[in-house]
Amino acid sequence: MTLPRYKEMWQQAEDVWARTARPVRTLIKVGVATCSRVVGAEETLQVLRSEVHERAFDFEVMLTGCPGLCYAEPLVEVVQPNAPGILYQRVTADKVPSLLQAVAEGGIAQDQQALAVMGDQESGGLPALKSIEFMRGQVRRLMANCGVTDPENIDHYIARGGYEGLVRALGMKPVEVIDELKKSGLWGRGGAAFSTGLKWEFLYNAKRKPKYLICNADEGDPGSFVNRNLMESDPQLLVEGMIIGGYATDADKGFIYIRDEYPLPVERMELAVQQARERGLVGENILGSDFSFELEVVRGAGSYVCGDETGLLSSLEDRRGMPKIKPPFPAQAGVFAMPSNINNVESYTNVPLIMRHGAEWWAEMGSEKHKGTKMFSLSGQVQRVGILEVPLGTPTGEVVMRMGGGPPEGRKLKAVQPGGPLSGVIPASDVDIPLEPDPYRERGVLMGSGGLVILDDTNCIVDLCIYFEWFAEDESCGRCTTCFAGTRRMLEILRRISSGRGRLADLELIKLLGNIAQNANCFHGQGAPTAVMSMFRFFEDELLEHVERKRCPAKVCRGLVRYEVRHHSDRLPAAEAICPTNAVVRDNGAYRIDQLKCIKCDACREQAPYAIAVVDEFATA
Amino acid sequence: MFSQASHNSRLTPVEPVAGSTELLARISELVGGLSPDKVDLLKAFHRIQHEFGYVPREAVPLLAGKFRTTPAIIYGTIDFYSEVRLAPSAETTVEWCSGPACLLKGSLNIRRALEAILDCEMNRTSADGKFGLRLVQCDGTCHLAPLVRHEGRYIGPLTVSESIEWARRLKGEDGRASTQDRGAGAEEEPPEAERLVETE
Repeated sequence: MTLPRYKEMWQQAEDVWARTARPVRTLIKVGVATCSRVVGAEETLQVLRSEVHERAFDFEVMLTGCPGLCYAEPLVEVVQPNAPGILYQRVTADKVPSLLQAVAEGGIAQDQQALAVMGDQESGGLPALKSIEFMRGQVRRLMANCGVTDPENIDHYIARGGYEGLVRALGMKPVEVIDELKKSGLWGRGGAAFSTGLKWEFLYNAKRKPKYLICNADEGDPGSFVNRNLMESDPQLLVEGMIIGGYATDADKGFIYIRDEYPLPVERMELAVQQARERGLVGENILGSDFSFELEVVRGAGSYVCGDETGLLSSLEDRRGMPKIKPPFPAQAGVFAMPSNINNVESYTNVPLIMRHGAEWWAEMGSEKHKGTKMFSLSGQVQRVGILEVPLGTPTGEVVMRMGGGPPEGRKLKAVQPGGPLSGVIPASDVDIPLEPDPYRERGVLMGSGGLVILDDTNCIVDLCIYFEWFAEDESCGRCTTCFAGTRRMLEILRRISSGRGRLADLELIKLLGNIAQNANCFHGQGAPTAVMSMFRFFEDELLEHVERKRCPAKVCRGLVRYEVRHHSDRLPAAEAICPTNAVVRDNGAYRIDQLKCIKCDACREQAPYAIAVVDEFATA
Repeated sequence: MFSQASHNSRLTPVEPVAGSTELLARISELVGGLSPDKVDLLKAFHRIQHEFGYVPREAVPLLAGKFRTTPAIIYGTIDFYSEVRLAPSAETTVEWCSGPACLLKGSLNIRRALEAILDCEMNRTSADGKFGLRLVQCDGTCHLAPLVRHEGRYIGPLTVSESIEWARRLKGEDGRASTQDRGAGAEEEPPEAERLVETE
């Protein structure tokens, strides 16, 4: 019953997709996602549409998602019939007219920044997209549709093999689907790295009904944006994953909980669910089978602990999103006290691929112990900020230094924070460890959800730890004393150290706070001191420098530095003008900085880098 | 343990208090069709905030009645979520990203400068009520780090000097008030090399 319906649906979808896959006239694709919207992709799309209309070009303009090259956005791909597409970078609205002119003349727009040729063959002097440093070594499975299909068009997804996995799953027994998952070795991508198959089995075995399936899309880790990209560039993949999950676990309803900071993913997921419902893929008797499943998108309201699985449950129950005490585990009593299962976006989106291609195919990639691919986002002191997908076990250095390009020219890598403020940091000397949970765990660090944040030698580790502790304190739900008060004490001590009033006894106090934090109920409290603990492990010298010598080697900690006019230069008037607190003063023709007024914002040094210097406040000659 | 899940104690609905009838009528209209135990409370907050820019206090007892709980629980829930606000925002609100990528690239310097120029602390409103600074969480637009947002526009990557100039224009101190974006990828002329001047 399901198969003929799907075949019919696929045939229709294929007709729609053919216009994009094998265009008969020039096709222009504009990637519009959160990351490109902020640099003007929507304006680019708008201007493209109106210009094409006004100048009566025989071009088709299409919306697509983000291929992950955030650093080069807005990206525009121009596909001529029977030729590979050419990807242009940084096409802002003002560059559109000349781009269109060049395309109309049939050439490569020379004055534009052509980045690459799509596919794996170089052509016309442009490198193949697969061979550019950022892309080489990536394996795009989850991201196969990102930047390729129209995320707002379900037909594109179906034509490229979408919902094939669902059809196959519906032909199997739920236990067989779970077995297939277990065979693949898929584990939760949210950070805890627990077997997804096992988790689904718990829910399947739960007796009470209704059962709920929940997708944790509350990607609260600052510096992580992989789930966001999947939801806005290929939302149907998550919808399919959830439906298969619903079938395998005998669930009745699914919730996709998306954080408030992600308005576009909310919009696109809602549209995707609606389109899937119109096709009979969500709702009663899916594809004519006797399986029914409802799906709802929920928008959060800005709370980090709602990303903890039980915090998310509380949030769904119309209450403060405070994590609950386990047991009972969600599979026994989750949302509304009914059996529930919670997985990360990436965990669900791997499922359609496993069902479509089989567990063996899926497990080909990855390391001995950890199968599959994983998406990572790169941000911080890295030349190419973006989103990539690599097999698990790829050396961290390969991703950070080669694909990401490492820190800006002339600076040295200092540390990498692998996923979220609770994950800790690894030092530059360990940068070649494989990207998989175990090597990180050995170093007391969690791989987390995949937001790699890169530090270089201009950054101070104490400053970063203050940020993490501030974040943990700010987002603490307030249940456990070790968490809400412990993080606050920790923050006070760290701020004391960074202001120059640190004492040796503080170090023991921090360790003590780190130990008692383990008694917190949820991972937010337990993980809060991880970064500080990795500072002790890997950057003790730098910390001691702050405490004993009252010096910040990176000259970041505000209480340990002072701005001074060291020379006289012709830029000092500009420095005087920029100062927001009038702290750059002129006395009898000579400039000096009024230390009482100075807020140490660095603006004057930006204006007069040679004349004004940052010096140690407590410098010993 | 299980009692946790059976959450909101079912108490008698509370009668709406203070506030104009029009306001209350509008709020009731907005949350019409929503019901308890349907994951609707967040939806109610979003609808109300979308309409008014914040959740008016008058909505609290009304929501308590609607969701068959106490005003205290509704208030506590609103207070828990940082994106649900109980007071209107300032006329001009500058959002400062607190994320790690921005931090590593010097966002704290920008924060200090903005606080000084707008004469307003983070998450507060300036004395004249015109300017507000709001701390926002990272949404993964880290290629623009360090950034600030204003009226939905993202402005970055910023140097401290650029942020100061921008804030002064915003305040109207430096010529006309302007919220002009630095166009993304706009190439700026490199400044001339700084010349040291000999002093005695």
